[in-house]
Amino acid sequence: MTFELNINNKTYKIDTEPDMPLLWALRDLLDLTGTKYGCGIAACGACTVLINKRAARSCMVNVQSCVGQSITTIEGLSPDGTHPVQKAWEAMNVPQCGYCQAGQMMTLAGLLEQTKKPSDAQINSVMSQVICRCGTYHRIRKAVNMAIEEINK
Amino acid sequence: MKKVSIDRRQFIKVSSLSGTALTIGFLFPGLKSLAALSQKECEFFQPNAFLRIDKSGQVTVYFARQEMGQGVNTSLPMIIAEELEADFKNIKVEIVEFGTFPLGEVSFGNPHDTGGSQSIPQSWDLLRKAGATAKAMLIAAAAKEWGIKPEQCAADKGTVVNTINMATMSYGSLVCKAAEMPVPAQVTLKNIKDFKLIGKEQRKTNLKDTLTGKVKFGMDLVVPGMVFAVVERCPVMGGKLISVDDAAAKKVPGVIKVVSYEGTGAPMNVYAGVAVIATNTWAAMKGRKLLKIKWDEGLSNKDNSVDLYKRFAAKAKGKPERQVFKRADAPSAVIPATNSISATYYGPLLAHAAIEPVNCIAEMKENKCELWGGFQLPDWSVNTIATDCNIPKKDIKVNLSLIGGGFGRRLRCDFAIEAIKIARQIDKPVKLIWERADDLKFEGYRPANYHRLKAGWDVKGQLTSWDHHVLSTPIATVTWPDEKKVSENGGGADADFWYDVPNINTGYTKEKFNINRSWLRGVENAANVFAIEGFIDEIAKKLKKDPLAFRLSLLEGAAGPDNRDWNKYRQRVAGTLKLAADKIGWASARKKNHFIGLACHAYPSTSAYASHAVEIELLGPKKFKITKVVAAIDCGLVINPDGLKNQMEGGVAFGLGQVLKDEITVKNSRVEQDNFRTYPLLRFNEMPPVEVYWVENTETPGGVGEVGVSTVGPALCNALAAAGYRPRIQPIKNEGYVWE
Repeated sequence: MTFELNINNKTYKIDTEPDMPLLWALRDLLDLTGTKYGCGIAACGACTVLINKRAARSCMVNVQSCVGQSITTIEGLSPDGTHPVQKAWEAMNVPQCGYCQAGQMMTLAGLLEQTKKPSDAQINSVMSQVICRCGTYHRIRKAVNMAIEEINK
Repeated sequence: MKKVSIDRRQFIKVSSLSGTALTIGFLFPGLKSLAALSQKECEFFQPNAFLRIDKSGQVTVYFARQEMGQGVNTSLPMIIAEELEADFKNIKVEIVEFGTFPLGEVSFGNPHDTGGSQSIPQSWDLLRKAGATAKAMLIAAAAKEWGIKPEQCAADKGTVVNTINMATMSYGSLVCKAAEMPVPAQVTLKNIKDFKLIGKEQRKTNLKDTLTGKVKFGMDLVVPGMVFAVVERCPVMGGKLISVDDAAAKKVPGVIKVVSYEGTGAPMNVYAGVAVIATNTWAAMKGRKLLKIKWDEGLSNKDNSVDLYKRFAAKAKGKPERQVFKRADAPSAVIPATNSISATYYGPLLAHAAIEPVNCIAEMKENKCELWGGFQLPDWSVNTIATDCNIPKKDIKVNLSLIGGGFGRRLRCDFAIEAIKIARQIDKPVKLIWERADDLKFEGYRPANYHRLKAGWDVKGQLTSWDHHVLSTPIATVTWPDEKKVSENGGGADADFWYDVPNINTGYTKEKFNINRSWLRGVENAANVFAIEGFIDEIAKKLKKDPLAFRLSLLEGAAGPDNRDWNKYRQRVAGTLKLAADKIGWASARKKNHFIGLACHAYPSTSAYASHAVEIELLGPKKFKITKVVAAIDCGLVINPDGLKNQMEGGVAFGLGQVLKDEITVKNSRVEQDNFRTYPLLRFNEMPPVEVYWVENTETPGGVGEVGVSTVGPALCNALAAAGYRPRIQPIKNEGYVWE
């Protein structure tokens, strides 16, 4: 079946089974590989994208349900890597291997779309959904705080 | 246009400067022969495999080790740029193509090999010389132009300066002339005090691309025409396929083909598998779920973790199979022990669990093979693949990619052998993807390890004897089953004991267990240190001595005769311990319900030493919150301080995950964990504040990938012991500990 998806403000036509998770449509059909596969059951957060500005695990959302929605991936978070979250990640030199970092940044970006001043409890709860095996959490926390400061300037 | 004029004789001279395994391989990335080179027009200067300068002045630095988060794509180029006097901000960084160097015959120690925290120690001299040689040739070219002596020139930020009249020539303008200069037999390396780049914080060279989703890991690579495969494996290592009913799987839209293959024996112990090949990953996954397979699990399908632990415990009291280390400076008749204690410690099987599940693209054309993916030991991989898949070594081409977390997982090449076995059965390149459950259930695990320790002391409270019996399921018995000497988890004092005790006796006993094993970040060092640093703390407590002072008394006393440089080891270990203790405020009064634990160690194989201090707040019985962690390291000269900090911070997370909750359990020779809910890695909310410090010195740089892990767990357990609880079994959640 053919589906029309709006990704990063561009329209993509894909031919697929309706139950294909958005993750695999992005990666295998559209070569938008910034969104990563980590677990397939929403337990690691590596595949996080924004759907209508809310963070969503793209491994759990099928293509059919994405029709008519506005999808943002790491490739479209900003035109040139200057979203406040990306800038904070850059300033703190957060990544080690970098594999999970798109999921980390998209998760925070989603939270900041909901509230500009999240509480510590909200930050902990949301950011704990994304695993970094390299253990860059210490830097992620600093970058989270920096991004929040930036958007509230 | 001039031709690049490096003739064969000159090339050999360039080659000989390395004086290492790289000798012949000091070649040119992307250029397979000198003939090809001589036909190139004079557009660039590339005196060796590690750097190239274009006419435009663009400097490209190549690194051979695999980047998997540890930062070699930044630290290694820094070493070259320092000696080359290149402007680091404007250099390009690329990987040295595999095949540039001759294929290595050894399993570890080749130019691309990435493990054991060896990238920096093994590259330091070589890369300095690579940079310095190019600089010398650029200077010689400029000096000739100006008619002055090379000594009258200086280099800075990609420019040669005439020190007489301060005229300058850019590196770019010198490339053709530099290529004609003789290669110096000797080069002068910079004095450490003149370093401008090394020792200054640098961001990762691929940072921007990482943050915009542009970097490509093996998982992200696309080869034209490729198809996708996932594999259902025999649940037990060594088992065989009896039959497969793939009728339902083949009906899934997108599924192209279902193929099966046999497993292999050592060293990789590939599991027998049935692969579903499809036009996309999702279709392959759906097809896989519909397979109906009968396996012959073989004879070894009854192993389980609980029994293994009991077998360890029963054998631990007996004599070790093999003595590992003995020191008998003072026979017990001379200094009789008046008291002694003993204790047992345990560490489970562990998974690597990188967030990028292993994957590999393979294409077979006739019996020639091309691979794309991440390999920590590509030379060993090619040698193993050649044997296991019966492909001539020269016909195996490997394209290396960025790795989304290594930790030792990609030292093995089981995934590549699988990909080849699948690709042989279809005329297209195949991208094999391990699903998360596969990644956790079918890999090579850090061995389970059990430790029985005994120590004695004399009437003065002086430690006189130390006995350490290590029992484990070694890597060697599954990887090199014919090898006589089993070295993994070889027993504390073999490599990982640094205290000055007159009588030391350590030994090792191996245990059979039908689960594959491999090396995990920290290897046996982390397993042994957990036991040693817990037990030394127990002794201090028993002797009513301050744990810091007690350790220092065993590190800073007069050392006996020894074939190692123990004095220096001990001083460096002590240096990190004092630093950690100082920074956490060991000597200050503790806040109410706050307790601090310390642990120190040496990581001799990579010339690094580290300690951790962990502060906890006790919230209730066996309930705590980690309020602060201090990491202190001595790794010699620090190349990139920010990279060091990132590794040490990450080491805290890695170590805490292990001590708190990471555990692979086995039932009927099957791993029970299959996702991040059953194998829960440390999460953001569990990460305590971390401070990283290092001992400033100019010793030869060591590696820092692993040294930051081993002492995290024991330091936490020693803090809990100070609070009245002594965990000895990892993960400590199994002893009822809970944390916030």
